[in-house]
Amino acid sequence: MSKKIQLSPRKKDEQVAAYVFSIPAVFLLVAFMVVPMIYTIYYSVFQYQVMRPNDISFIGIANYIKLFADSDFWLALKNTVYFTIIVVPVQCALALALAMLVSKKFRGVSIFRTMYFSPQLTSMVVISVLWTVLYNSNPNTGLINSILAGMGMEPINFLSNPKTAMNAIIFMSAWQGAGYQMMIFLAGLQGIPGEQYEAASVDGATPVQRFLYVTLPNLKGTIVYVITITMIQAMKLFTQPYVMTQGGPQNATKTMVYYIYTQGFQKGNFGYACSAAAVFFVIVVAMSLIMQKITADA
Amino acid sequence: MKKMMCAGMAVTMALSLTACGGGNSTSTSGTGESSAAADGSATTLTIWQPSDKESIENWWVEKLDEWNAAHPDIQVSRIAIDRSDSYAYDNKVATAVTSNDLPDILFVDGPQVSYYAANGITVPITKYFEDTSDFVDSTVAECTYDGELYAISATESSVALYYNKDYLTECNYDISKLESYTAENPMTWSEFEELAKQCTTDSYVGTHIVMDHGEGLPYALEPMYISNGKDYISDDGSTAQGYVNSPEAVETTAFLAGLIAKGYANVDPITDEFLNGACATEIQGSWDVTVLEDAAFEWGVTYYPVSDKTGTPVSPCGDWAAAVTNNCSNVDAAGEFLQWLMSTENVASYAAAISKPASRTSAYEDPSMAVYQDYPLSVFVEELRNSASPRPRTPSYATFSADYAEAMTNIFAEAASNGAVEESYIQEQLDNVAASFEEDYNTYYAQ
Repeated sequence: MSKKIQLSPRKKDEQVAAYVFSIPAVFLLVAFMVVPMIYTIYYSVFQYQVMRPNDISFIGIANYIKLFADSDFWLALKNTVYFTIIVVPVQCALALALAMLVSKKFRGVSIFRTMYFSPQLTSMVVISVLWTVLYNSNPNTGLINSILAGMGMEPINFLSNPKTAMNAIIFMSAWQGAGYQMMIFLAGLQGIPGEQYEAASVDGATPVQRFLYVTLPNLKGTIVYVITITMIQAMKLFTQPYVMTQGGPQNATKTMVYYIYTQGFQKGNFGYACSAAAVFFVIVVAMSLIMQKITADA
Repeated sequence: MKKMMCAGMAVTMALSLTACGGGNSTSTSGTGESSAAADGSATTLTIWQPSDKESIENWWVEKLDEWNAAHPDIQVSRIAIDRSDSYAYDNKVATAVTSNDLPDILFVDGPQVSYYAANGITVPITKYFEDTSDFVDSTVAECTYDGELYAISATESSVALYYNKDYLTECNYDISKLESYTAENPMTWSEFEELAKQCTTDSYVGTHIVMDHGEGLPYALEPMYISNGKDYISDDGSTAQGYVNSPEAVETTAFLAGLIAKGYANVDPITDEFLNGACATEIQGSWDVTVLEDAAFEWGVTYYPVSDKTGTPVSPCGDWAAAVTNNCSNVDAAGEFLQWLMSTENVASYAAAISKPASRTSAYEDPSMAVYQDYPLSVFVEELRNSASPRPRTPSYATFSADYAEAMTNIFAEAASNGAVEESYIQEQLDNVAASFEEDYNTYYAQ
């Protein structure tokens, strides 16, 4: 027979306060996440032209059948997965390296921390516009091609060549996003007891061994968290292709979110876009769980 | 007490957080408010329109104040909506349709008139404009769907070929040749390509093609297709098969892609490429005349190039038009307001403020329109009168526009990457555009 735990009046007050304070967050979560998600799944089984909200008809899984037969959907998924697979390790490794660099105590370290974090403080739209100019193929306009021309190299069509466009976006995204992960890693690094490093040094561990056997195990929780959030962010890639390439060239940067956007808003196929969004939601959740499982086991 | 404070804080936080969602990137014009409006007895109308340059924003403030002062029973305000990209405004409208939040009067781009009309988003306004003989034919055609007038525009637009006189002279190009072309006998594609070739150097490309990855592409390039023998879509707006993917269309697209493949045009041009002295010529709209007032070089304008095969002059047209939505609280009041808005005097001053040709013939008699009698703006007016062809009138235009822009972006990128034009790739891309159009039309609009 279970015994009911008696809470003190103070504990009860705290519990009530906790519930009350969570109301705004729960309200926002339900209003802007749960309800739209339910609506998305609901509309995904209807033929729904965005301009005809009063003329929708139930079509069962027809949208899903059409979706899985659409080569553009698979291409968008492939591009999204490619971006994620490359950007997550690159960005996380870069962030960890930067965090280790700025965790050292030396003069002016706070300036470096601010510099590395500053891209995070700028809107992604602004950054995308700036990098579009940097990447311009005309050496008189694009800084990168101007440098290449100075070195006697041929200009590169970074954003208008299907072979380079996604990689150009990956490079820019890793640069922009690493600062945020760096701050999380920095907090994790500062939580590692100094005694462990001292003990490892006394035992004759090299810097690499200290990193592998002290830093990494202590950062395991942080790494799992950083990889998971980076992956989810990467899967939602939209702003960069929207501003820089409009999904091109030759659909090389068309991502899942961009695909959903064009179907839903540019073409008005709202029901179809909802089915793509529902499938994408399942994929993101599945990949997050797999990623967590892999990183936790490691 | 503590619990009450906690609850109070939570409610305050919830309210303040939800209140954060109210902002949007709009500005409102119309400052005057009559006493009737204040006591709630007046009809209030709201207009949505893409935001524009300062002169037109000021025009609206002044005109709405004038209207509101004279009509206490019909108070009008306008919300200028940022148009960050080619489709941003349409997205805003689509969202408003879903949430049943449309304004009373909505400005729609010319080719979208059919799309909104066919879906019942806008209502006919024929009875408020029974005599449209003073409006140019292209305006009336573009604003008509299924025999009814669904919108009305104060202005028109056109596209022509701008050229940098100083640079062309440097390239030993004979300027007098360009000056000798007429509306009936414009430059041909081969002459245009020859010019672009002659003027492409390390610092300049020969020409500039609109690369907005959106509606700018079908708008600016359609005359080339018509001139070469086939429009994008059938006259009745029901099919694109055999039109946008016809041999003639492939040939036209190959010509355009060839300009990029040969390096005569940039696939990712810089902003204001012509103004910034990076291209010798540009295919651009009439609105660039005011932009080029500050150009550091002498420039000129000639008529839109024609296909060598047919020699048929065709030029683009169409502009944003005012329509009354199905959400309008008082359609008659909106009709009365539009009649006033489209009066000759208002059309003339509006066209002058926005630097576009007026849609009413009588407006050109107004002193503010005198500049359109003279070169270079006269070129655009001549085109409008002689060769203007409205974009396809079809309810599936939104789908067509997005798919065509995507296909052309792909084709141009392929041409730039390979330095050559692959006709089979062009055919494949245009076939996709046609197939997508057919699917959309047959799903939602076919009888």
